Amino acid sequence: MTPVFRALGVSFRWPWPAVQAVLISIALIIVAAPAQSIDFTAAEKRQILRHGPWPQASEPDPSNRVSGKAAAIYFGRTLFFELRLSTSGRINCAVCHRPLKGWTDGVPKSRGHAEVDRNALSLFNLRFNRWFGWDGAQDSLWAQNLRPLLDTREMGIGITGAADLVRGDKALSCEYRAAFGTAPGKDDAAVFVDLGKAMAAFLETLVSGRTPFDDFRDAVGRNDAAAMAKYPAAAKRGLRLFIGKGRCAFCHFGPTFTNGEFADAGVSFFIRRGVVDPGRHGGIRKLRKSPYNLLGKFNDDPARTTAVKTRHVRLTHRNYGEFRVPGLRNVALTAPYMHAGSLKTLADVVRHYSTINEERLHADGEKILRRLDLSTGEQADLVAFLRSLTEKEHHPALRMPVRLPTCK
Amino acid sequence: MRCCRLIALMGLWAAIVSGSSAAAAAACERPAGWTNAQHVAGKTWRVWWQSSPAAIPLGAHFSVRFHFCGPALRRIRLRGWMPDHQHGMNYRPTVARSGIAVQAKGLLFHMPGKWQLILDVAGSGKRERLVATMVLE
Repeated sequence: MTPVFRALGVSFRWPWPAVQAVLISIALIIVAAPAQSIDFTAAEKRQILRHGPWPQASEPDPSNRVSGKAAAIYFGRTLFFELRLSTSGRINCAVCHRPLKGWTDGVPKSRGHAEVDRNALSLFNLRFNRWFGWDGAQDSLWAQNLRPLLDTREMGIGITGAADLVRGDKALSCEYRAAFGTAPGKDDAAVFVDLGKAMAAFLETLVSGRTPFDDFRDAVGRNDAAAMAKYPAAAKRGLRLFIGKGRCAFCHFGPTFTNGEFADAGVSFFIRRGVVDPGRHGGIRKLRKSPYNLLGKFNDDPARTTAVKTRHVRLTHRNYGEFRVPGLRNVALTAPYMHAGSLKTLADVVRHYSTINEERLHADGEKILRRLDLSTGEQADLVAFLRSLTEKEHHPALRMPVRLPTCK
Repeated sequence: MRCCRLIALMGLWAAIVSGSSAAAAAACERPAGWTNAQHVAGKTWRVWWQSSPAAIPLGAHFSVRFHFCGPALRRIRLRGWMPDHQHGMNYRPTVARSGIAVQAKGLLFHMPGKWQLILDVAGSGKRERLVATMVLE
């Protein structure tokens, strides 16, 4: 008998068996209760559907005459892993773009022969890009592949070195002939660009697989409640934030979760004291000077159909410090994040946007990013949603044979 | 009497001119074959415009044809603008003019939401801004 009841002269004993029964019943109700159902509005469903279907339809790149060709894909894969394309013989593309690390390297700033200024972008879904690189200095995938071969901090083999390697190696020249229909010629620049095109043919095959989000998105399209219920509640709440209060979908829209353009996300663009990374502004300037842009002679498309962007791209003050808006498929596999790898985890990224300092943005009056002040739970939900953009199966490119059978 | 005749003649001339303008404005028909064209009317000019593709795509380049009705054009400037976000396009369109037919190439709306096509037009001593608003989802 408790002291209170004793003082009141009341004889009372806790009905422990009954209390136990009630407590157990409550526990069972909690365990058995279905996850909180989230009913998306019609407008939200329309937004969700716009993030698919996946995979997207795609066409060969008209600026690359070997885009989509099997022999070129094989040759490109060979080149991707070819160490002799570096001056030291120790660096290949896979050093910074590791197949089992989401085709990136897991460090803030990549290192070839020396550390570079930026994080290695993942190679998933490049075929859907409009621009390439953090600054968009290249307007085609094949041109982007040439850049590390010219940068002495990365591979640095150079135009003549690359061409000489292919001409002088029996297996490589065999694969070149299989891909392009002729032996590598005497024009070093033409052979060099062709290597970029073969690698592009391979990289175009790196399309990320379907994700739990895609299953949910398609279920929304079918109005299949049973299938929709399989998608975790936290991911649904995060999705609602992504397309609503979080304002993420303004830039990260469509099936690839990117608008393909550039933005100032409030991340410092100082490389070190006194040195800044000009971002998109520098990228456009490099693009205009590049002999490999789509307006130049190496574009295989006489109609220059894909060169519209290059012809019309605008250089403005606002571009300074802008960096590419990356796609978010498989984003959970590609830490760290942002152009210099300054944010270690997805939780850090979400926290960054939630607490963004709008006055630090160099946006020339642009009003897109806002301080969100998300709760801890909301931030966790957004991360859960982003994790649901991870493919369910590993990429088939890893299962390709190493060499074209006829060139062994 | 002479002054009255002059005033009457001026009044008749004004009526003819305004009647012509009204007739011209009233005659600003949709160009043949422009089945998806939309119309914007200002005080001085009216314009029919049609995009290619017919539905302006989000995140892809498109071009626009314009058909103007009104005084002779001397200058046209075209830009895209997102009023809610206070930014324009990342691309500068090229504008080619042949009489009242104008074509702009290289536009791209890179974000979902409300966009405006803003035409700043000048000619015959007049200036006007014509705005077409649309929402891309």
